[in-house]
Amino acid sequence: MKNKILNIKNLSKFYGAFKVTDEIAIDLNFDEIHALIGPNGAGKSTLIKQIVGSVKHDIGSIVLDQEDITDLNDVERAKIGISRTFQVSSIIPKFSALDNIILSLLNKSKETFQLFKNIRTNKELDTKAKKILREIDLFDKSDTLASELSHGDRRKLEVGLALAMDPKVFLFDEPMAGLDESGTKMMINLFKKIKTNSPILLIEHDMDAVFALADRVSVINYGKIVATGTVDQIRSNVLVRDVYLGYEI
Amino acid sequence: MIIEKFFNKWIMVFLILIPTCGVIFDEPYFITLATKVVILGIAGIGLNLALGYCGLISLGHAAFFGIGGYITGILSFHALNDEVLFSWPIAVSGSSEMLIIWPIAILVSALFSFIIGLLSLRTSGVYFIMITLAFAQMLYFFSISWPNYGGEDGLSIYMRNSFPMLNTMDPISFYIISLFWLLFSIFISLRLINSPFGMSFQAIKQNEERVKSVGIETFKVKLLVFVISGTITGLAGSLYTDLNRFVSPTVLDWHTSGEIMVFVILGGMARLYGPLVGAAFFIALEQTLGSYTENWQFWLGLILILVILFARSGILGLFDKKLKYEK
Repeated sequence: MKNKILNIKNLSKFYGAFKVTDEIAIDLNFDEIHALIGPNGAGKSTLIKQIVGSVKHDIGSIVLDQEDITDLNDVERAKIGISRTFQVSSIIPKFSALDNIILSLLNKSKETFQLFKNIRTNKELDTKAKKILREIDLFDKSDTLASELSHGDRRKLEVGLALAMDPKVFLFDEPMAGLDESGTKMMINLFKKIKTNSPILLIEHDMDAVFALADRVSVINYGKIVATGTVDQIRSNVLVRDVYLGYEI
Repeated sequence: MIIEKFFNKWIMVFLILIPTCGVIFDEPYFITLATKVVILGIAGIGLNLALGYCGLISLGHAAFFGIGGYITGILSFHALNDEVLFSWPIAVSGSSEMLIIWPIAILVSALFSFIIGLLSLRTSGVYFIMITLAFAQMLYFFSISWPNYGGEDGLSIYMRNSFPMLNTMDPISFYIISLFWLLFSIFISLRLINSPFGMSFQAIKQNEERVKSVGIETFKVKLLVFVISGTITGLAGSLYTDLNRFVSPTVLDWHTSGEIMVFVILGGMARLYGPLVGAAFFIALEQTLGSYTENWQFWLGLILILVILFARSGILGLFDKKLKYEK
C-alpha cells in the first residue's frame, strides 16, 4: 500500500443496466508508468473521467497518496494533484501556447485570484512556462495561437498543460494519437523522464509506445479489467490476444 | 489591433471634444446626451466583463442598474423630505451627498450581484439567461408594487445630489463626474483582463472544462466576475438617476437588460471600449432616426442583424486586424 500513489477499488459506473466500468481495481506505484489498453468503447476514457471526477461513479473508492478523494469534485482533485490530458485535444484556442501553459501554472502558484497584478510582468510564471514549452518541443511556437497549432502540436501542448500542474499523478488519454515519429519519440523520452517525479496512468493505442514505456499493463474489456501484468506477461496472455491484440506478438 | 488602439484614442478625444463644443456653442443638450452615452457606456462596460470576457449571458443586468438607481433615488428622496430611512435598530436618514450615496449604491449592487450570481451560476446556457431574467423581473414587479417610492410612476428627486465644490446641476460638472467614473471603469476592466484572474475568466469563456482540469475553481471565478460586473452596472444606475433626477421601474425592466446587451454587441464584445461605442451608436440612432420616425428601433434591429451576421466583433472589430481569429 505504501508504494501506491493511486489506489482504485471496486469502481463501477452504471448507465441504466449497462455497466460502463465494472468493479475496476487498478493502482499506480511511485515511479511507474501503468498502461491501460483495450478496444474502443471498453471504458478506458470513462475510467479516466471517474478518476478525475468529471463523471461521478456509483460504487467504489479512490485513494490518492493515502488520502481518500472519492467524495471530492473534479476541481478539488485537480488541485490536490491529479493532472490529465483529454482524448480529444482540449486547449484554450484563443490563447497562445505560452498563455495556455501560464494558465495551468496559476493554481500551483496561487495566483488565480490576483485581480490587479499584470500577468505579463510575472517573470517567474513566464520562465516556468517557457521551460515547459522547451521540454515539449514547442518553444519556437510560444506565441502561436493554440487554435493555429497542428494536431500533433496540440497533443504536445496538452501534455505541457499537465506538466505545468506539477501533479502527484498524470492521467494521459492517448497522448500520442496523431503524432509523427519524432513526436512520439519525444513523448516517450519525456514520459520516461517525468515518471520519476509523478507516475503515469497511460491510455494508448500505439502498442509500440506502450511496450516501450509501460512498467505494467492492464487490459480493460467491457468495463472490466481482464488482465494486469508486466509487458511480457501481457504479450503472452492468450485472453489479451483474443480481446484486444488479436495477433501474436 | 493597432488600428483599434488608434480608434480608442479618438474616442477619448471625442469624449472631451463633444461637451467642449456644447459649452462653446451653448448647447447643454449635447452635454446631456454625451453624459447619457458615458453613463450607459459604464453600464455596458460592467456587462462586458461578464458577457464579453467570461461568456456569462446575463439578461438580468437591469436588476443591478435599477438597484443602483433606486438606492440613489430613495436616499435622495428621504434627504430632500427630511425623513428617516428606517428607525430600527438605529435611525438612519437619507443623503443627498454623492460621496455617501455612491458607496452605498456600490455595496448594495455588489450584495445583490453576489446573491443572484450565487444562485444563477449553478446553471448554464439558456437556464442562466432565464434565471437572471427572472431575478430582474422580480425586482421590476416589486418596484411597481412599492407605492412608498412612486410605484409604477417612479420617483422624482427634483435636484441632483451634491458633490463637494461642484455644482452638479451644471451639465458640464455632472459630465466630468460621469467621465471620471467611465475612466475608472475602463481602468478597472483593463487591470482585470490583464491579471491572472482575467486570464482565468477569459479562458472559462473558451473552455471551462479545461480550466477546471488545471485546478481553477471556475465557479468562484465566475461569481467574482459577476459581482464586479453587477457592481459597475449598479454604479451606472446611480449616475443615471442623478442625470434624469428621476428613477422608475423602467430601469429594472428586461428592456434595459436588452439595451445594455445591445451596447456590448454593437460596439464589440470583449473589447474595452466596445460598450461605449455601442452606447454612442445607440444614442446617435435614437436621436437621428428618432426624429423621423417613432419606430426607429426597427432600423436598430436591422443594424443589429447585420452586425451579428457580418461583423460579430462589433463596430470596433472592424478596426481590428485580428478579426479573423474571432468565431
